[in-house]
Amino acid sequence: MKKEIPLGLLFSVTGTYGAIGRDLFDGALMAIEEINDDESNPISFNAIIGDPGGNIDEYHKMCEGMLRHDKCKQIIGSITSIGRKEITPIIEKYDALLWYTSPYEGFEVCENIIYTGAAPNQHIIPLFEHMFTHFGKNAYLVGANYVWGWEVNRIARELIASVDGEVLGEKYLPLDDVDVERIIDEIEHKKPDFILNNLVGNSSYAFIRAYHELGKRNSDFLAIKRPIISCDLSECDLKHIGAEAAEGHLSTAVYFENLDNSLNEIFRDKVTKYFNRNRSISSFLISGYETVHMISKSVAIAQTDEILAVKDALYVCEFETAMGRMKIDSKTNHACLTPLLGRINSTLEFDIIDAAKQPIIADPYLINFNAEQFSKRIATLKRLEDSDYLTVIK
Amino acid sequence: MTRFYTPNFNGKKALILHRNGESMKRLTRQLERLGMQVTISWPEFPKGDDVYQNGELNFDMVFVDADNGYDELFPWLSGAPPVPLIALLGSELPGRLEWAMSQNIVSHISKPIQSSGVFSALVFAVSNFEKMKIEQVHLESLEMIVSSRPAVLRGVSALMKHGDLNEDQAFALIRKAAMDNRTSIEKYCLSLNANIFDKLLLNSSKLRKPKKVN
Repeated sequence: MKKEIPLGLLFSVTGTYGAIGRDLFDGALMAIEEINDDESNPISFNAIIGDPGGNIDEYHKMCEGMLRHDKCKQIIGSITSIGRKEITPIIEKYDALLWYTSPYEGFEVCENIIYTGAAPNQHIIPLFEHMFTHFGKNAYLVGANYVWGWEVNRIARELIASVDGEVLGEKYLPLDDVDVERIIDEIEHKKPDFILNNLVGNSSYAFIRAYHELGKRNSDFLAIKRPIISCDLSECDLKHIGAEAAEGHLSTAVYFENLDNSLNEIFRDKVTKYFNRNRSISSFLISGYETVHMISKSVAIAQTDEILAVKDALYVCEFETAMGRMKIDSKTNHACLTPLLGRINSTLEFDIIDAAKQPIIADPYLINFNAEQFSKRIATLKRLEDSDYLTVIK
Repeated sequence: MTRFYTPNFNGKKALILHRNGESMKRLTRQLERLGMQVTISWPEFPKGDDVYQNGELNFDMVFVDADNGYDELFPWLSGAPPVPLIALLGSELPGRLEWAMSQNIVSHISKPIQSSGVFSALVFAVSNFEKMKIEQVHLESLEMIVSSRPAVLRGVSALMKHGDLNEDQAFALIRKAAMDNRTSIEKYCLSLNANIFDKLLLNSSKLRKPKKVN
């Protein structure tokens, strides 16, 4: 006899960042069905679904309904930091556990949240390490006018300063604003080595397409020479941009569909079977999927959904996933993750061009970051890269 | 040398003057996540070899229970903490707030301790304490200037008489001499005497003849 556990799914599958929400939701639901159909699993989930539609006022109301009415002790969801911050007080009030699955800007450790998405030392820092080594130190920063864009760009400014690079411009657009021409003009004028794009959804798509138009009239701005880079652009965004405009740009994530390992082969087959079609898989989809499996395993070991027992069970588990081995650090409640760097190809997939050698422990407050060491590391990597390059030429 | 401006408390030492309990365990966990070492002591300031190092307090910041804190708790003069002092506030009684302010606290955290609020309290505390220290130094130098004003006045008027100069000329000579001696005008004026006046006038006459005024 399975024990039924209510599980809140709070994802905006419509609205500005609906594409991301849809992938998270689909991944989570796929895992729930798998768990419910698995007779050997002692628990099943009763999914309580809420779609705030990207409307910040809906998050609190829906979350409270899940906690008060549906007695959820576990909620997976929220995508933006604004959404997460909106529901944190009520999650704490009901002493529930929020499973937050998106990459975010860090500087938070809440004892009622498990963070399965990447923190800055797992996204922007490895991304910039690659860019400084392969493209240069002068960047242009664009972002959506809210905390994700501001804070990731702030970290970027410090990374750039630490290697004596230059921020050639920094511009913000309101969410959903597609008026990108002035930014494109400035980029043409300033000629940065690369552009960090922290825009979201439609703004981001419009920006990448406009940059492609610039590249067509001025070959200095082809993706291969001066790419746009991002910390959250994933497979689910690419069809909205189009292959021609998207090709060649870079993004970091803890998973890409093209990841070559046997667990990922199995996962891709499962997705194809579940959706009955060839559906693209993003880091968000697998993150939703694996996080639900983490909840299931922890609740099964704890034999209750009371959060202290669930957390204790979670901390001792290791999860073999297509993303690599995952573990939650009991000190920070954040996941160890393996950052990858992908380049968009002509068939709207990411070719993986760089990867961390092993999973990286999250450092949400960047306490282990040292600018001097970072700068030295870049210099060493650059020397290695340059000597490799000379070898190839010979 | 490059700098990373993200506040970093890794390796810093915190002293919590508060009864140990669930809330302080939460605060300790949060501080340890920031890489800090935590000591809890109550109801007295800790005693031990590691409390001071080379005569200085061996903590980078002190948290104090503002609900139960008292003046004699601290080994320093009331209101003059040598490191940032952060209040842990449960009660908002005006009397307790008044006590906390009299201790020159630079930041506070509300009890019960939540996951959020600790990092920002540390950032504000350190920044406010630095500002306070800079203002203190500035204030001391202003006080020195004000208290030496009679010596400057005496020096200028004596030189005016001695060299038959107007006020601007006398002051300009003294200012230049103070600069040459790498000292402040105020300190320089305290050392003035007739011999120095002659030297000053002699030096200045090589450059230009002081203009006589009626």
